[in-house]
Amino acid sequence: MIDLNERYAEKKSFFNRLIVVYVFFGFVFSFFLYQTYSLQVSEYKDYETAAIANKTKEVLVQPVRGIIYDRSGKIIVNNVPTYDLIVKASLIKSIDAFLSDLSPIIELDSDELDFVRENFDLKARYNRELLIKKNLSREEIAKFEVRSYKFPNAFIDVRYSRYNNYPELFSHAVGYVGGVNNDELTSILNSQALPQIETIFKYSNGFQIGKTGLESTYDQILRGKFGKKIFEVDARGRFVEEREFIKPTNGENLFTTLDIKAQQVAYDQMDNRRGAVVAIEIDSGSIVSYVSTPSFSTNAISNGISSRAFNALIQDKDKPFFDRASQGRYSPASTIKPAIALFGIENNIIDWDFSIEDPGYFILPEDQRVYRGWRKGGHGSVNLNKAIIVSSNTFFFSLAYKSDINKLIEHLSNFGFGAEVCADCFNPDKALLPTPEWKMNNLNFGWFKGDTVNLGVGQGYLSATPLQLAYYSTLLANKGTSKELSFINKKQDIKNLNIQLNNTDDLDWKRLHQSMIGVIDSPIGTAKRLQELKTYTVAAKSGTVELVSTDTKEDYKTIRETEGNRDHAIIIAFGPMPNPKYAVSVVIENGESGGSVAGPVAIAVLNSLIGK
Amino acid sequence: MKKKLTIKNFSIYFDQYLFISISLLSVMGLFFLYSASQGDLNTVIKQSIFVGFGLFLMFILSQPDPDFYKIFSSLFIVLAVVLMFATMIFGREVNGAKRWLNFGFFTLQTSEIIKIALPIFLASYLYNKPLPISLKHTFITLALICFVFYLVYSQPDLGTGLVVFMAGIYILFLAGLSWKFIFTSFGLIVLSMPFLWNNFLEPFQRQRILTFIDPSSDPFGSSWNITQSKIAIGSGGMSGKGYQEGSQAHLNFLPEAETDFIFAVIAEEFGFIGICILLSFFFFILLRCIYLAFNARDRFCRLTIGGLSLVFASTLFINLGMVVGIIPVVGMPMPFISKGGSSLLSFYIAFGIIISMATHKKLMQK
Repeated sequence: MIDLNERYAEKKSFFNRLIVVYVFFGFVFSFFLYQTYSLQVSEYKDYETAAIANKTKEVLVQPVRGIIYDRSGKIIVNNVPTYDLIVKASLIKSIDAFLSDLSPIIELDSDELDFVRENFDLKARYNRELLIKKNLSREEIAKFEVRSYKFPNAFIDVRYSRYNNYPELFSHAVGYVGGVNNDELTSILNSQALPQIETIFKYSNGFQIGKTGLESTYDQILRGKFGKKIFEVDARGRFVEEREFIKPTNGENLFTTLDIKAQQVAYDQMDNRRGAVVAIEIDSGSIVSYVSTPSFSTNAISNGISSRAFNALIQDKDKPFFDRASQGRYSPASTIKPAIALFGIENNIIDWDFSIEDPGYFILPEDQRVYRGWRKGGHGSVNLNKAIIVSSNTFFFSLAYKSDINKLIEHLSNFGFGAEVCADCFNPDKALLPTPEWKMNNLNFGWFKGDTVNLGVGQGYLSATPLQLAYYSTLLANKGTSKELSFINKKQDIKNLNIQLNNTDDLDWKRLHQSMIGVIDSPIGTAKRLQELKTYTVAAKSGTVELVSTDTKEDYKTIRETEGNRDHAIIIAFGPMPNPKYAVSVVIENGESGGSVAGPVAIAVLNSLIGK
Repeated sequence: MKKKLTIKNFSIYFDQYLFISISLLSVMGLFFLYSASQGDLNTVIKQSIFVGFGLFLMFILSQPDPDFYKIFSSLFIVLAVVLMFATMIFGREVNGAKRWLNFGFFTLQTSEIIKIALPIFLASYLYNKPLPISLKHTFITLALICFVFYLVYSQPDLGTGLVVFMAGIYILFLAGLSWKFIFTSFGLIVLSMPFLWNNFLEPFQRQRILTFIDPSSDPFGSSWNITQSKIAIGSGGMSGKGYQEGSQAHLNFLPEAETDFIFAVIAEEFGFIGICILLSFFFFILLRCIYLAFNARDRFCRLTIGGLSLVFASTLFINLGMVVGIIPVVGMPMPFISKGGSSLLSFYIAFGIIISMATHKKLMQK
């Protein structure tokens, strides 16, 4: 037993020590309370935000693209809903096992199977929907729904397709839509300050973007803006409830100046021959017809095409994807002659009374080289009027010979050669207006007088697209003024492009028109076969593009055995005269005769537009 | 006031302050648990059975004279150690840890027993040692503490191990551990820290400590719990989101919401005000324990009350420190509030013994 003193000391020591421990705990306790206070009061805002961010999940909602109309308000491209079978690709372990489980229920053809297999990895990687089969029948829907428990990651839902009512008519003018790559998608979403997150799709092929034609040029307008659904989710990301729905802004509709009827006529007339037709409403500069053939169906491409079918199109030797209307380069050939004639008059080199004797060839004085016309023996005495009607090469060789090359180039450039003439065409080619500098830089040769002479008949290095030829035709019809070409009638913003001619008066223009009318209506006109095809007056100039230079008709007969060697047929036309409303250009590759092969196409298109 | 009611030579020992505050805390705990378990009535019913049984146990255990605990303390500690070994051999393994012994109707977490047995045994060993405690007794005590700590730690259960270790050290300190020893060993530990860091810690352990210092560096790893817990507490604000309105708990962002992190649920739903009210109950209980210790009849009772109340306080502080993100996650329930069997009961037992120590008087010694 301890004595009382010791007992007292022990008790005192115990109390002191217990107080020490409690004071220490008091400090710890205060510190914890302070920590709680700072979490709940000082930093409340941050943590409140974090708690909301935790339970909130945002999902993008895809907008529906705008509808594309023709100029009479008929729908060209629409959004068509279908019932589609869709899977969440990232949840499928083996696509082959999935397809074999599915095969007794829903049949897929080889193209559809290819499409699924080709796209599976990509869609799985980005956690996107994969379309298994479009446009299910009622029977297929019923069959699937009964067995849907076997396919927890697959579902049937309504999805739109971008559907062109005239899929082959507008393949180059309107173009098609397609999937976006990741960079494109990021930049589209960035423009709306959105991150790339899960998306509720409205279209069978998910994210899409205009790839060619008007779908691409006006993609920003047609596309619309993504909406957002905000959900409350639990820690596993499972849906709890919908909080907010910011509706997507659907794309604006696009009212084009295209004319379905004229387009159909142009397409039918081309009859799958390689070539292009472009028709312009002269007053407004609007494009009413824009055809490049052969064509392809945009619907297959817009809504998912297997790479096999796609490759077949790519490898087609007639190159259906190639937009000949704005990317095909063709020598204007004799269609250039009205422009050369205007140059002669403007620069006082010739007048309407000036005439030459046409022996059928022109000899270049510098080196005695012979430049032949198309008709052996020539056209006899030829003034400007006759030179246009019969398309005398000799006349224009000698006129070009007397021209200053730099001035001539500037003159042709004003007519749209080598220039951009369209405000909203997809990837238009400027083709080539050759200059001495160009020749030196590219061919390492100086400019010869012979090059100038060739330019006089639209041969040589000069090339133009059918679109440029249509623009040129419009300028000729409208006496040197035109608006920049466009697919939509934007009353403002459209540039006026006038040619400044000081020495050419209205009478000159009328006489030029008269000569071009003679091309068809004169008994000696190069396109006189077109007379019966119309009931009104049309001004035209045909051309025949020599691909292989030959001296005699016999030589040509030999080389034309190979189709690719045959001349291109080309024509520009406008009417009805004397107050032309529409201008048109037609090119038919290896069509041989501008007047009798390309001509009927041009007249048919004008007929459909003028309504006679 | 501690009371001694005498009914026909039969006395009842009872402390109304502790009894009422602990009962209130337990009922509040049931109320919070209902929300934390997302309205799972089964959990709450099971917990209420434990609470009822616990309160009864507390009452029963406050009846024996402290001498009973003093005499049998060696038996208790031996029994507890045997149970620990039995757990090592027969224990049920959950997530790689062997902590539970299955008795058919009840699964016992044996470390909870030793958590109480050790302080009582140490109190009975040290109560008659002269001041300051000699080096020999200090080392015997420390050896026993380390042995028990190692038993618990190897289950593995670092949290309870630390509580056991701290409880032992408290008793030793309260019993009169010499200040010379305290300062010398403290100095040695500080000096050897860099040496231990470089030679005894595995790289992953160092990384764990570094991650703890900067939890944001690893938001989905081990500190996910802490991050979510802080968000839950912080987003509760001053007055909370309302009962059963906590999104962190109810959408399962908060892990272990019913057990270790129940404090975060309360903080989210009742805010800083609710937390202050809740903690004031704990504060009251601890203050009451100081008072009881001051008025205990002898050194053994003082040491036991001091030791057991500090076990309670340590458990609470480790839980709070973990939930508010000040100390690493070790797995420690909140006394009387968290869901649990053994750990819940152990505190009723501890307070039953505290009340026994506080209410029995030896008149002859006054």
